[in-house]
Amino acid sequence: MLLCLFLPQLPGKKDLFIEADLMSPLDRIANVSILKQHDVDKLYKVENKPIVSTSDQLCFLVRPRITNMKYVADIVNADKATGRSRKYKIIFSPQKFYTCELVLEEEGIYGDVTCDEWAFYLLPLDDDLLSMELPEFFRDYFLEGDQRWISTVARALQLLNSLFGPFTNTYGIGRCAKMVYEVWRELVEESEGDSQARRPEISHVFLMDRDVDYVTALCSQVVYEGLVDDTFRIKCGSVDFGPDVTSSDRSFKVLLNAQDKVFSEIRNEHFSNVFGFLSQKARNLQTQYDRRRGMDIKQIKNFVSQELKGLKQEHRLLSLHIGACESIMKKKTKQDFQELLKTEHSLLEGFDIRESTSYIEEHIDRQVSPSESLRLMCLLSVTENGLIPKDYRSLKTQYLQSYGPEHLLTFHNLKRIGLLTEQAPGETLTAVESKVSKLVTDRAAGKLTDAFNSLARKSNFRGISKKLGLIPRVDGEYNLKVPRDMAYVFSGAYVPLSCKIIEQVLERQGWLGLEEVVRLLNGNEFAPTEPVTEENPARETQRVILAVFLGGCTFSEISALRFLGKEKGYKFIFLTTAITSSARLMDAMLEAKV
Amino acid sequence: MAPGALLLEAQREYEKESQKADEYLREIKDQNLLSEAVRQCIEAAGYEHEPETQKSLLRAASFGKCFLDKFPPESFVRTCRDLRVLNAIWDYQIGIPLTFAQYKQLTIEVLLDRLVLRRLYPLAIRICEYLRLSEFQGVSRILAHWACYKVQQKDKSDEEVAHAINQKLGDTPGISYSEIAARAYDCGRTELAIKLLEYEPRSGEQVPLLLKMKKSQLALNKAIESGDTDLVYTVVLHLKNELNRGTFFMTLQKQPVALSLYRQFCKHQELETLKDLYNQDDDHQELGNFHVHSSYSSEKRIEGRVAALQNAVDEYYKAKNEFAAKATEDQIKLLRMQRRLQDDLDKPYVDYSLHDTVYGLILDGNHKRAEHLYRDFRVPDKRFWWLKIGALAEREDWEEMEKFSKSKKSPIGYLPFVEICMKHHNRHEARKYAARVTPEQRVKAHILVGELDQAADAAIEHKNETEMNLVLSKCTAATDSSVAEKINRAKAQSLKK
Repeated sequence: MLLCLFLPQLPGKKDLFIEADLMSPLDRIANVSILKQHDVDKLYKVENKPIVSTSDQLCFLVRPRITNMKYVADIVNADKATGRSRKYKIIFSPQKFYTCELVLEEEGIYGDVTCDEWAFYLLPLDDDLLSMELPEFFRDYFLEGDQRWISTVARALQLLNSLFGPFTNTYGIGRCAKMVYEVWRELVEESEGDSQARRPEISHVFLMDRDVDYVTALCSQVVYEGLVDDTFRIKCGSVDFGPDVTSSDRSFKVLLNAQDKVFSEIRNEHFSNVFGFLSQKARNLQTQYDRRRGMDIKQIKNFVSQELKGLKQEHRLLSLHIGACESIMKKKTKQDFQELLKTEHSLLEGFDIRESTSYIEEHIDRQVSPSESLRLMCLLSVTENGLIPKDYRSLKTQYLQSYGPEHLLTFHNLKRIGLLTEQAPGETLTAVESKVSKLVTDRAAGKLTDAFNSLARKSNFRGISKKLGLIPRVDGEYNLKVPRDMAYVFSGAYVPLSCKIIEQVLERQGWLGLEEVVRLLNGNEFAPTEPVTEENPARETQRVILAVFLGGCTFSEISALRFLGKEKGYKFIFLTTAITSSARLMDAMLEAKV
Repeated sequence: MAPGALLLEAQREYEKESQKADEYLREIKDQNLLSEAVRQCIEAAGYEHEPETQKSLLRAASFGKCFLDKFPPESFVRTCRDLRVLNAIWDYQIGIPLTFAQYKQLTIEVLLDRLVLRRLYPLAIRICEYLRLSEFQGVSRILAHWACYKVQQKDKSDEEVAHAINQKLGDTPGISYSEIAARAYDCGRTELAIKLLEYEPRSGEQVPLLLKMKKSQLALNKAIESGDTDLVYTVVLHLKNELNRGTFFMTLQKQPVALSLYRQFCKHQELETLKDLYNQDDDHQELGNFHVHSSYSSEKRIEGRVAALQNAVDEYYKAKNEFAAKATEDQIKLLRMQRRLQDDLDKPYVDYSLHDTVYGLILDGNHKRAEHLYRDFRVPDKRFWWLKIGALAEREDWEEMEKFSKSKKSPIGYLPFVEICMKHHNRHEARKYAARVTPEQRVKAHILVGELDQAADAAIEHKNETEMNLVLSKCTAATDSSVAEKINRAKAQSLKK
């Protein structure tokens, strides 16, 4: 483990300060005892508080951010003021930035600290999931226009390329994707020659910007893993199940990945199936336990030594997941989850916009949840290509009344990033529409007004949705037990756009025939000039595709692509800057109160 | 006679097709000295200056080798190669009379350096190629030296030189155009240096030199092209020190990427500069945001916060963002109001949202003030009703709630009343409101209060199948069998029709 190379450089006892964001990733790869072996005395979190360490050597493991540099500078300068001399070392992860050095210089402590880089790019969260654990990527790039992480991603890509490549077919869409691709190509050219030709394990790569598809990320997740993430927040592949789940007074930290036999079977399932599955599983377990009746001594001995441990483990996991399900059900029914989903679905389909808008308004008025309300507003805006000015104003006013005036800045951010916008005047039939809606309030007329609206509006999402068939036409009930398409991750109401694009491009080996969609998505697409087709298509091996999400992907998207992989015989590997969810997207837009 | 000499003699006789060759050879072989003889011939060849003599010695060695089973070939091959190199430099046009021993002592690298110093580039390159030295050590290095010399040729135009250099160097690996450019710059040929830098594929290498040459604009362009923010920062902060503030800001204006990066930097490091930047751009929207932000992050006193917000209002008006201006004005009003409340009631109110403030007031029974805020800020009726019944329920002020419910027709209906009462486990109160809900919501209300029988009646009255099923799903076999029966009967009846 690389970090252990740095710690001995500061021999003797030392205190380690870790940035909160890096705690969970570090925990995945090095536990406290390893750190203790390297003479780490005490562990602290980097936070805005004066430190209490008495050690003579301080080590900081931080992201290359200005605020962190100031934090270190304050400590060093405070020590200087009291005439105390200590050794300081800053380890930057994943790399050092020039600005950091500059700030150290401006604060006058450049000579007092030593610096190092911990080139920690990829954290394997699961068999098929690699995370860069850079949640700030989203805000930095899409909101602030800061491209600092682009080369970091390109380097991670190159790392994978040198291990599992060469990547012969690279597709992508989005401005950032294109930049990453270009920087990566340069890295490849620089290192050309050291890699010998071999058969690639990963041949296809698909890069996508988060802003190509906000809609999917904004929807409530109903696949088990996504739902667990929305409810409990999965951190670095593990989740803390509180006392209400464990039905004891302790909370448990559970690692959620393919190793968990129970979880791996339900993670991609629609939530409605999960309970049934779990109870089936419980019954099976019981029969297995029951087998020991009627066993002779020898068999029992065998059973105890070989199977019992596994069964116990499974039992424990099973009860945890059942607890989690119960807790989710409790929370979700309380807020009338069904109604929420209904609203989302009508937003996706573009029906009953009036009704949905008043639903959102009520949601805000009743202070149900600040981030949920914000999310619904964004979903309305993104699917409708912006809010009509009247709603834009009134929803914002309502929100400010509920949650305080500092959200004025949140709205500014949301507007800048394009998540919550106002339709340009003239595009709408607002006047007509409002008259009509005043005249008639029953539902049939509501649909009429919506028909009016769709004539007037040029909504990109609508257009894309129509072109790609994102809203499946279903006769009767959508069978969630035996899903037909990726729409199952949203109860059969919507095929995630991001996943649909990947499916289409892989099928067509390029963007041919998708020109209109690309135009609506603002272009920036790319594909290999001549797609390298497999020399021997009949070959047994699976096609392995690396799906790269810049700005984060959701568990629902992962589940959808896993499903697609199963259908088409691909294997998807995911590389994301971080796991995201609607709540995380919204949090990233807040202007923190310092 | 040494065995080597005998071998040479044997070879000569062999060429004459004389049987003496065999005799000599036998003589050497008998003493078991043939390999020694071959070795001697090879070594001797090295010390000879005359190519003819070298050749005959080597020929003898080669002849002798034929009669040996396992003579390692390296020494022979190496000597041949070395001699080729030595013969080349002994040529009168070159005239470096190195002996074999000297050459071995010096090593080939030093010899190449000497050739480079004498500007004998073609020969040096030929030697490298002949000895198959790696490009990095050999050809590239010499080409780089050549290029560095080339840039000093003052008689040729910049274009010519740059073109010639690129023509020869192409993209040979290991060549650093930036180094050559640095040399050109040292010789005072800035333009040439810039031209040469164009060939440099790595932007990271271009930028430092461009900065050194004070071509900051170009450096900025290159840095931005590279997509490496670190590089952009390097240039931007260099510019900041180099240029005066006005020009610096102007330069940034033209480069949005650099500007946004610098803003990031200022946000954390130089807040005042950030304000200046916005001022320069007349970016009133951002200035407004800036003041709003400082109103809750840096200002602690109410007066300071109000002043900051007032600034924000002015900026928002300038930015023609009336919404933001109005919202901020409201906030000023609220802040003042909250402070008064805080003074009067000795409770913290500052920093709560309007909703929370009104809620808090009702919770403490200050209905008048709450009412006042509700009117003053034009809180929508619906919100006020939701909020008020929530607060009253939390206070368990059921009397007031009933009074309120009768004050006028509820804009949110009466189902929320039922819900909130049940949430606070007051079934008695809930029943009162359940009677007042609209017919469409009646079933739901009855279910909420747990009056399944009435719910069933209502559902049957509506002849609504989904409602009936809803009631049915709430029925438990043990206690509500009569209700379930009633519904099933009604369903069966409606089916018949």
